[in-house]
Amino acid sequence: MSALLETTELTVSYGGLHANSNVNIKAEKGKLTGLIGPNGAGKTTFIDAITGFTNVSSGRAEFNGNDLAGVVPSDRAKRGLVRTFQSLELFEDLTVWDNLIVMAEETKWWSFLADIVKPNRVLGIEEQAEWALNLLGLAEHREKLTLDLSHGQRKLVSVARALAAKPSMLLLDEPAAGLDTVESQQLGQHLREILKQDISIFLIDHDMGLVLSVCDYIYVLDFGKIIAEGTPEEVRNNPEVKRAYLGETAGEMQAEGGAAAARTLSGEG
Amino acid sequence: MKEAIAYSIMGLGAGGFYALMAMGIVVAYKGSGVINFSHGAIAMYVAFQFYNLRTEGIFRLPWFDILPTSWLNIPVKFSLNDGMPINFWLCVLLALLTSVLIGALIHYLVFKPLRNAAPLGKVIGAIGVMTYFLGVASLQFGSNIPNPEAVLFKDDLFQNFLGLGLPVSVEALALAASAIIVGAILWAVFRYTRTGLATRAAAGNEKGAVLLGYSPEKLALFNWVLAALLAGLAGILAGTVTGSLSTGKFTALIVPALGAALIGSMSSIPLAIGGALLIGSLQTFTSTWMVGESWFPSWLQSGARDAIPLIIIVAVLFLKGKSLPIRGNIEEKRLPLAPYPKRVGKYVAIFVPLGFILAAGLPGDFLFAGLTGNWGFSFTASLVAAMFGLSFVILAGYVGQISLVQISLAGTAAFITARFVANEGPSDANPFAVGGPHWPWPLASLVGIIAAVLVGLIVAIPALRIRGVQLAVVTIAASISMWTLFFDNPSATKLQGGSAYEFGTPHFFGVDIGSTSSSGLTDNPKYTLFCLIVLAGLCVVVANLRRGSTGRRFLAVRANERAAASAGVNVPGTKFLAFGIASAVAGVAGVMTAYQTSSTAATNWEYGIGLSALAFCYLGGITSINGAILGGMIAGGGIVSTFGSFHSPGLYSYTAIMGGLGMIATAIIHPAGQASIFQPLMRHFGSWLLVARGKEWGVVLKRLWPFLLGGGAWGAIGINPWRTDSWNRGWMIVLGILIVLFVRNIVTQVKAAKAAKALPDTNSLQEVTA
Repeated sequence: MSALLETTELTVSYGGLHANSNVNIKAEKGKLTGLIGPNGAGKTTFIDAITGFTNVSSGRAEFNGNDLAGVVPSDRAKRGLVRTFQSLELFEDLTVWDNLIVMAEETKWWSFLADIVKPNRVLGIEEQAEWALNLLGLAEHREKLTLDLSHGQRKLVSVARALAAKPSMLLLDEPAAGLDTVESQQLGQHLREILKQDISIFLIDHDMGLVLSVCDYIYVLDFGKIIAEGTPEEVRNNPEVKRAYLGETAGEMQAEGGAAAARTLSGEG
Repeated sequence: MKEAIAYSIMGLGAGGFYALMAMGIVVAYKGSGVINFSHGAIAMYVAFQFYNLRTEGIFRLPWFDILPTSWLNIPVKFSLNDGMPINFWLCVLLALLTSVLIGALIHYLVFKPLRNAAPLGKVIGAIGVMTYFLGVASLQFGSNIPNPEAVLFKDDLFQNFLGLGLPVSVEALALAASAIIVGAILWAVFRYTRTGLATRAAAGNEKGAVLLGYSPEKLALFNWVLAALLAGLAGILAGTVTGSLSTGKFTALIVPALGAALIGSMSSIPLAIGGALLIGSLQTFTSTWMVGESWFPSWLQSGARDAIPLIIIVAVLFLKGKSLPIRGNIEEKRLPLAPYPKRVGKYVAIFVPLGFILAAGLPGDFLFAGLTGNWGFSFTASLVAAMFGLSFVILAGYVGQISLVQISLAGTAAFITARFVANEGPSDANPFAVGGPHWPWPLASLVGIIAAVLVGLIVAIPALRIRGVQLAVVTIAASISMWTLFFDNPSATKLQGGSAYEFGTPHFFGVDIGSTSSSGLTDNPKYTLFCLIVLAGLCVVVANLRRGSTGRRFLAVRANERAAASAGVNVPGTKFLAFGIASAVAGVAGVMTAYQTSSTAATNWEYGIGLSALAFCYLGGITSINGAILGGMIAGGGIVSTFGSFHSPGLYSYTAIMGGLGMIATAIIHPAGQASIFQPLMRHFGSWLLVARGKEWGVVLKRLWPFLLGGGAWGAIGINPWRTDSWNRGWMIVLGILIVLFVRNIVTQVKAAKAAKALPDTNSLQEVTA
């Protein structure tokens, strides 16, 4: 088994604060790896660090065996390491379809000259975008502006957009936040579907229910440090995890629809 | 060495003036989060007001009489002492009162309504105020350049100051000292008074300040009045330090002041003062001592002084652009949508021949002889202005980059082209003519356009690191500095005494397509056709870019730079590309302007002209091609303004005022511009003409008949039904109707905007998707 994404002693500091300290993670090819942790644990910082949106203070991140240091975010995306954002960050002036196409198309320095002559060229990436659109059930919204969609639909567009590039690894930042239980379950099914397409997934969420039910391997982050790792079964029975989650943030999990997760943790699920 | 130090000390006078200005900019930014580009214009207005009060006792109000009646007027001008000077302190008081009035007005009329606008909207608002004051000042004070007297310590000199061997005026030192005193007072106000503390709190976190019970609006009002007072104080105290300046050059002093405010990170008053004094010293040191050194390049001598603030601004933004405080507003709106262009080919196929008929008239001049004389010239001017507008559409509309340097790029293209098309040098007819290699015009134009692209790309380098409002700061500084460094610099341009480059007549396969027709007027319909074809070509290019992968990347970057990067879009590369294309388009417009007037001079490319052009493009709709075309039609000197002047002569002098007001109103009421309203109207109208029944016609006519009749009657003035030679003005009836419908459209929009305020703000551009 080769690790597609691997971090070694990755540390991100803001001044004196260590948002991530010495994080070691391996995400295997073809697997769904999860990263959970309470709010403020440093999950999004971690994803920002791997995708180049924040500076790594020390340690290294490797993707496909290549060191990512000094690679700008857009090039990381081109190498197949694609992310979504918790705050969606869609291109609101473009249609759903164009959102996907921006992600999928390869451009050259002379592309603009080709555009002047023939703007609606066949790009050869339509099939992949079509697949992503259909997988997430967005076909009927194809020509709509993302502004006109509901929050749940926009969420799906953000996942579809990331998939349109046919990445080798998809990093999902809190995809279940704001979804109801049914939508969350559907999302889980979609993720399994995506894995079949030879796209590995790295899922970040604090919805324990979703993460425990779909992931192959899970890391638990708290105060910037990995406090546990293992299969869903192992994580579920880890006392450290129980303390981090139930001891301090049980009330908040309730609010986030985490009741199911709490049941799972206590062994009823 | 002693001399160098003495010169630096002399520069403290200008530094003190910049410090007063910079403090005002900082205060306005703290109070409302707006980088106030109009600050220099306000200081200019008060300075001119003060000068006129002191010399003639004339007090003016910062507006103009819009009423066409001679018996009912809006009060504007008061002669307090029959043209004789009045008491000095009364002058100061009245000038400061003017500042207070201006501060309150711009708060209530401009920045309060724009509180939640997109950053571009706020910049446009500030530039609108600037354009307005430039217009009002040139209307009220004309082109006379005052020679102000010193206010502080008139005529006092320190002979041999500190033993440095040179006299230093007491005024300069007093100005620097008063800036420091005012700064200390301000610092205390912000540190120890409740309002000051609340302002600082709101600058950090507006929501927090609201929760603590402070009204951000009252705070903003307080700070706008304070900022305007500081501008006024700077204008009053400037005295001889700034020398005798035109309205435009005085307003341009915003650049060093902005540089100083940026050194203070838009928040620190002591740092801003320090920066201002430094800039003032450096400027005088450079322009008096350094230029005398043998190693100093001769072509830089006249512009060195103005290059310093630009260098400082670029350096500060480059080094700490990302750490400048960005205000967290409670709510922030987006730029209007950039519609997907449709049926471009059809529009071109219809409007190019139609435009040509408009220019050339019907065959045999049957009923309509075409646009001749001033009409033909202004129609062509509109087409060229539309080309120029397209460069704003690409950069600001599609990529969200506010560039105010486009006018300088257009000028660069025109100047470089001029050098290459020129043939022999000075002659008897034109002793100032500049010689050159006399290349064929297409080749020379190409070289000019390439030069514009190169300059545009250099300006774009800082844009890769900074964005939004900060880019506007850099580009306006670049535009102003380029004018003094290049356009108005005889050692760089070889133009003596404000003379112009001569453009030859372009020929196309032996046909004269120059703008001068056989009658000797600049109304050659063949040149209009040339412009139509170039404009159509540019429109197709821009439309295709928007529709293709380039446009998708442009809009992705505009919507969200982070997300664009995560989608594999090379954000700096995309911005660079947009700058390059927009520079080329501006270059084309520059060359076409030069061919239109057959000559080009420095005065054609001043920053104020660029601001006006931006104003009208924004009014038309900065995010769409139609917006640029509409903007061109209504631009100063364009076909609509000529139509206005036909009936009310002198309307041309209101161009800047109208542009400024239109810009502000558009930013507040309908940021998408007028074109977005016309677009569905045109589309519906086209299909409607074919299918509408008599009954439907009746309904529309019933609603619109007063406007149709009124507009038609207005246009028909000057047509005598008994004189066939006046029939060729028949088309003006149509134009009159169109203009009246346009005005009605604006009024309806204002009403709709008021009605929409009660409702939650759905996007105003739903038609785009329909």
